[in-house]
Amino acid sequence: MREALRYLGVRGEPDPALLARLSAMADKLTRTVEPRWAWRVFHVKHTFDFVELERAGLVLSGGMAKTMLADCAQAVLLACTLGAGFEAMLRGEQARGMAGAALLDACGSAWVEAGCGGAEEEISARFPGLYRTDRFSPGYGDLPLDLQRDICALLDAPRRLGVQVTDSLLMNPSKTVTAVIGLSEKPQPARVRGCAFCDLRENCQYRKGGTTCGA
Amino acid sequence: MELDFLREGLVIWDGAMGTVLQRRGLPPGGKPELLNLTNPELPRSIHREYIEAGSRIICANTFGANALKLAGTGCAVDRAVFAAVAIARDAAAGTGAKTALDVGPLGELLEPLGTLTFERAYELFKEVVTAGERAGADLIAIETMTDLYEAKAALLAAKENTALPVFAAMSFERNGRTFTGCTIPSMARTLEGLGADAVGLNCSLGPDLLLPLVRELCENTRLPVIVKPNAGLPDPATGEYAMGPEEFVRAMLPLVEAGASVVGGCCGTSPDYIRALARALEGKKPAPRTCRSAGFVCSAMTPCFLDGVRVIGERINPTGKKRFQQALLEGDLDYILDAAVEQEDAGADILDVNVGHPGVDETVMLPRVVKKLQSAVTLPLQLDSTNPAALEAALRVYNGKAAVNSVNGERAALERILPIVKKYGAAVVGLCLDERGIPPTAEGRVEIARRILDAALSYGIPAEDVWIDCLTLTVSAQQDQALETLRAVRMAREELGLPVVLGVSNISFGLPNRAAVTRSFLTQALGAGLTLPILNPNQREMMDAVAAFRVLSGQDAGCRDYIRRFADAAPVPASPAPAGGLALEEAVARGLDGDAGRLAREALQSQDGLSLVENRLIPALDKVGADYEAGRAFLPQLLSAAQAAQAVFEAVKASLAERGGTPVRKGRFAIATVKGDIHDIGKNIVRTVMENYGYEAVDLGRDVPPEVILEAVREGDIRLVGLSALMTTTLPAMEETIKLLRTLPRPPAVWVGGAVVTPEHAARMGADYYARDARQSVEIARKVLGP
Repeated sequence: MREALRYLGVRGEPDPALLARLSAMADKLTRTVEPRWAWRVFHVKHTFDFVELERAGLVLSGGMAKTMLADCAQAVLLACTLGAGFEAMLRGEQARGMAGAALLDACGSAWVEAGCGGAEEEISARFPGLYRTDRFSPGYGDLPLDLQRDICALLDAPRRLGVQVTDSLLMNPSKTVTAVIGLSEKPQPARVRGCAFCDLRENCQYRKGGTTCGA
Repeated sequence: MELDFLREGLVIWDGAMGTVLQRRGLPPGGKPELLNLTNPELPRSIHREYIEAGSRIICANTFGANALKLAGTGCAVDRAVFAAVAIARDAAAGTGAKTALDVGPLGELLEPLGTLTFERAYELFKEVVTAGERAGADLIAIETMTDLYEAKAALLAAKENTALPVFAAMSFERNGRTFTGCTIPSMARTLEGLGADAVGLNCSLGPDLLLPLVRELCENTRLPVIVKPNAGLPDPATGEYAMGPEEFVRAMLPLVEAGASVVGGCCGTSPDYIRALARALEGKKPAPRTCRSAGFVCSAMTPCFLDGVRVIGERINPTGKKRFQQALLEGDLDYILDAAVEQEDAGADILDVNVGHPGVDETVMLPRVVKKLQSAVTLPLQLDSTNPAALEAALRVYNGKAAVNSVNGERAALERILPIVKKYGAAVVGLCLDERGIPPTAEGRVEIARRILDAALSYGIPAEDVWIDCLTLTVSAQQDQALETLRAVRMAREELGLPVVLGVSNISFGLPNRAAVTRSFLTQALGAGLTLPILNPNQREMMDAVAAFRVLSGQDAGCRDYIRRFADAAPVPASPAPAGGLALEEAVARGLDGDAGRLAREALQSQDGLSLVENRLIPALDKVGADYEAGRAFLPQLLSAAQAAQAVFEAVKASLAERGGTPVRKGRFAIATVKGDIHDIGKNIVRTVMENYGYEAVDLGRDVPPEVILEAVREGDIRLVGLSALMTTTLPAMEETIKLLRTLPRPPAVWVGGAVVTPEHAARMGADYYARDARQSVEIARKVLGP
């Protein structure tokens, strides 16, 4: 809910009527649509210039991947989606009025993030001795956006999740996240989440109001 | 090809091609179809191994051999298909094994989820299947589909352009739905209706998880059932599939006992799995099956069994509705969608769709409306027209199993309509009248019903797909006919056992307090056996009567639906403001659209529409807008106010349609999401808010090429164009569009916005304005088009 309010740009104490509508929408969404995910583990090869995922033949170029995976011998590629069911629900809400649609859209963003959280728990359970880095996605920092296409191909995401990447690198269904998570034997610091790493920190309405968005 | 072998015994299909190729050296992401040309020995040896293991059908290596997936490889569809089928036939030569042309998904999503049209998908599949037939395939195997619409395009392409048998299998998740929400009954009955020769499930899960799904499938089709599961689920750490051959076969046996008769494997399986399967099934016969025989219609997502009363909503019909007629003539499909959504929310099970009106080309309009409705409403549709071309066009693009309303007992009508009903696997409403009119007695009507049933059966339409309309006549004009209609309902149910339809509202025409008469007639007709009342579901008392009948007849077990219906409705809260105390302005500001509409209708008794909008509505919206800018209100409130404003505009339009007057027209703007961008909620938000300031939107949609925007602007002499982009990758398309618009002799003003767009981008690409949000867009419209 907090996350959905953030996506709606709501600051301060929200109006109770708005909160009630949002919570009803969140209920409807979580009753109807389950996030689905697929992930796979790859060995990481470190070279002087870049990081490569072995067997995948995938180069993760740029400083972002290099820093994030510095201590990691393995990395997970993850895709998580709310699927076509969410899109159908959103079309239905748009036909009923844009206010409800905007609420659903925000709930959807929060719900797919929650799905990523669920996937991360599953990963941790599978690798109890290892520490996860923050999850980071194509488009964060200098991690190229077109990795979305490679990640989806390597995870067989069209067949396993019903996810497509368009020529212009949009994910369809819209509430789909692709990400990389490093696995290390050493505890990993927060590197992506929090204000220090956020591009919006200079103009952030939350920071101006003396709070944070909580991401 | 003779299909007798399908009925004689169990048929062993083959296992995976793709994952076996990967194990034998195809790199991840490599295209298996190209191996047909570069290394034919590899697929050939795999086919041979499958045949030796016991496969009676093998799939040629053509899963992705379509023009979309082969784009950029330099390999034409024909070439890939010919090579693959030749390799498979070569491997099968002398063994008696059949070669299937394997047809997988196109690799792009169809509308409404993606941008690929149904018609284009059909053409792409047509290219594949005709090549397959020419190459000598014995049958066509459509598989791994997750979108019923795509499966339908492929099946239609195969049935219309080849003489080959067609098998069709889709991939389901554990919850019994595909990724796009398609259910098993919807899949089975839609594809059987369209003429598939076998239907089934493949890929996605292992056989252990498929048992409930296979059971459900066997209850929903009379066709042979295919099952080709994966070897369990892949391990995320290693990528290996979980089940070995023995475990796989152990889990397959219950599926065969449940009724599956064409069996093989999908991802992760290999010739070893098929060998073990063939051995385990040796000498076994297909299990006996029973198909659930209730009548049925569906959309992809919503199956509707006619095993109780089902309400058909009647509101999508222009007869006697000026505002609806106007919407049809203007092509205002949103208005029609509103009528659909309202009935869905009111509890209708099926929606009747009638767009017949002078000046409207039904052949164009009916399929357009069907596409629009099925993009946002999940109920099955009943297509209401007597125009065979319109019906065929609409049935073609319908995603599911529809009903057709209607035929009658006249021979010519039956010969015109029934072949279309049969071809698309629809249900059909038969009216109890013929060239001599409506028989005055129940016996006469049932006689015609019998004739319609016989004609339908002669075309191969199953009895449960024939619905009989016993015809409601107006009681104030022909009083004796009300009882006759009830008697006909009873006879049609008892003697023919068919679903019975009645348009009940007709009964009370011309009488005061119509609802009382209609409701009483409805109750009696339900008692006589009416199963499909056509009525206005927005009239609560009618739906209450249906709910009560379902309790009394035992259809609503434990009165559960009835209690739920009234549990939700019980504490009806008083109007949030004292009666008469709520002003239109406040209703808008608080987003109370029902109140806003009512207050607007009242105000329109004494005030004209234009002044209502200018002097009351716009100031109210401005106040919310100011709160939004100041951070006192947020997007949902802004949009709720816009929705309430929409109710006011709707009242103004309805009043104009009824009484005439000056339409409220400010300037027109065009709005589009640029080429490459397929997500459009942001654009829709901006459009809604601007429209509710009285500006007229020309919504060009999403993924719109620059040339289309140019053409629309030129044609409509549009002075303001809004462009939205979501991704840095689509900003160039935005810039290109602006450049193109600048080539016009009188270029329009352009404003841009969207997640990644900044004022700097806007300036650099030559846009006239940048808008951060919907509210700023309104300010831009005021500047350019006038307040």
